[in-house]
Amino acid sequence: MTSEKKELMLRIIDLCESVQQRGIDPFDVKVQEFLDRLREILPKLKAHEDLYLDIQAMLGLAEVVYQQGEWIKHKSSLLYLDPLLIMLKLHALSSEDLSEVLMKSWHPIVELESISPHGIKESKDYWTELPPLSERWGELGTTELLTGKISRDELEKMGVSSEDDFSKLMKDIWEELQSAVGEKGEIKYWDFIMARTFEETTKMAWLVSFLVTGGLATIDVIPLEEEIILRPFAKPRGLKATDVFSLAIPVTREEWERRRKGGEN
Amino acid sequence: MEKTERAKEDAAEARQKLAKAAQLLFFRHHMEPGAKRWELKKAIGRNYEEVLKMLDGELAMLGLEVKLVKEGEEGSESDRYFITFKGHPTLTETRTFGWRIDDMAMLTVAISYIVAKGGKAQLKEIERTLKEKFPKWRVEATIDRFIRRGYLSEDETGLLYIGWRTRAEIDQKTLLGLLLGKEEKGEAKGDSGVREQG
Repeated sequence: MTSEKKELMLRIIDLCESVQQRGIDPFDVKVQEFLDRLREILPKLKAHEDLYLDIQAMLGLAEVVYQQGEWIKHKSSLLYLDPLLIMLKLHALSSEDLSEVLMKSWHPIVELESISPHGIKESKDYWTELPPLSERWGELGTTELLTGKISRDELEKMGVSSEDDFSKLMKDIWEELQSAVGEKGEIKYWDFIMARTFEETTKMAWLVSFLVTGGLATIDVIPLEEEIILRPFAKPRGLKATDVFSLAIPVTREEWERRRKGGEN
Repeated sequence: MEKTERAKEDAAEARQKLAKAAQLLFFRHHMEPGAKRWELKKAIGRNYEEVLKMLDGELAMLGLEVKLVKEGEEGSESDRYFITFKGHPTLTETRTFGWRIDDMAMLTVAISYIVAKGGKAQLKEIERTLKEKFPKWRVEATIDRFIRRGYLSEDETGLLYIGWRTRAEIDQKTLLGLLLGKEEKGEAKGDSGVREQG
């Protein structure tokens, strides 16, 4: 078999998989044209491997036809709405309007939490085996890490290659913080730095440290609630105008995972 | 005399089954709330649908209802029953549930977008759409939370779908109708008196 024929079949298989897996519009696939091409090359296929590819391509096209049917059913149903219309609505409506739409179509599940005998036993065991507070405090040691320099490569990964770039990055993050706090004027530190990956979260924490050091924002620690609050300043402030002290905030993978799993930032 | 005794026994048995059904549906037994069809059948017996109909009647007085969310084929043993609000909550109530206005707005957009795209859409597309209106850092964290809570589901290829909780809690037709500026009438009740969705 010539590579051209094989390439055609592989292309059909790949295209059909894209429709299934990536949500591509099934009507973008020219099914009739591909079927004609497959019919043309079928008599020339001899090897088992080639016939297998032909079967795969045919199955893929059959799946596309099925997807087209589903698409038509969906479009003719009451639930059809053009994605473009959603975009227009998103721009036209305020957050309050959009939330009202959800609220008026929402029927929350009512559920009660309960603890099983097994859960009670586990809690009892945990409590019995928990060392006294005095011992636990003793275990909370800290490890001093030496500071190091960030490499040029690392900076480039962050999109920083010059001082101007860095200033722009700081300005962007400052604006993002100002928009995040809204009228309240403050936000929980973890709420702001929390990102989809641990690496992005540490990057945010790193940038926030520069915001605070640079007098663009301030951090307050509320010990009783164990909360760290971030407040951006409307205008940059010199370090002399603020109470300067050093504050170490551990941003560990364990803490990031805990918050991510917990759903509460 | 014997008939009266029998009737009393039947009534007691029915109350017992009713209580059992309420416990199964109210209390969380697994990761997800509610109870599956086979669980109800096992705990209550073959007439579980009648018991659920009775329960639905009792709950209506409290502003609640029994809702069926279908999974797969008609009458599947994996179909799940939930107890939900009969009406919708007020804005003040939603705030006490811990929801922010922005979060609700984002869920509205995400659900409408997925429905508009035929039931599935790329996570990145939805994020891009939302980032036009909401801060980037909040969009990613909020979508992750929607996935964890079951409002959306994600597969390994990065496609987002409508999650089980959305199918249980959100009347998608009403949502789209409201978004377009016209209100749809509520869905009709099924024969069992239990509302079906999904």
